[in-house]
Amino acid sequence: MEIVEHLLDISGIGRNRMQLRWVSSAEGQLFADYITQFSEQTKELGPFDPEQFKLPLTAIEQTLSSPRIRWLIGMTRELTEIENVYHEKLEEKDYKRLLKQATEEEYHKAMIVEVLRKGPHSVHEMAKKIGLPIYTVSLRLNELEKHGQAELTGYDGSTPKFIGLAT
Amino acid sequence: MNKQFKPKILSFLCNWCAYAAADSAGVSRLQYPPATRVIRTMCSARVDPVYIVKGLESGFDSVFVGG
Repeated sequence: MEIVEHLLDISGIGRNRMQLRWVSSAEGQLFADYITQFSEQTKELGPFDPEQFKLPLTAIEQTLSSPRIRWLIGMTRELTEIENVYHEKLEEKDYKRLLKQATEEEYHKAMIVEVLRKGPHSVHEMAKKIGLPIYTVSLRLNELEKHGQAELTGYDGSTPKFIGLAT
Repeated sequence: MNKQFKPKILSFLCNWCAYAAADSAGVSRLQYPPATRVIRTMCSARVDPVYIVKGLESGFDSVFVGG
């Protein structure tokens, strides 16, 4: 859930659009309070337009279902409480940092893949559409190329254009 | 902000905790806004992070998970 919050934040949707609360079955009043408060909060945020956030939403979905993130989340306890096959144990804050970094990388890659679905793009065009620095885009593109998810299709003048491969 | 705007909230409620709490809130006639649409799950851990995104995609203004 922390990961979803983080993703909502970096995509510009904002973590205030979701809330996780613990209510026991005896706490009707507490539940009513939470809903009242959350509905006020949503009212302040205003209506959510999924069309406007189509690209980030698809990318978040891809990120959350990516094997890398699924695996990392599934291994939380093994990595932080027990130990891995090399008898190493991760500090919780190191694990969180790792997970956060992996999430961001996967999210950026998912965005690139989504943009490339619509046809060949240069690195510059992608960076503009996604709103990331050119350097970050070319780093992620490199990884995508390595995994066979993107490739160079040709040149527009002297600008290299890339296309996504069906995944 | 628009005064007429009625938020649409998607709620995932755990059958044993929050759903029962919602039920008891209803039985004891506590007032709370009619903004939520509830999906009952057998456990709040049943809610996959992807569901939250799907909820936002399908036009809800926000998503509440209660366990």
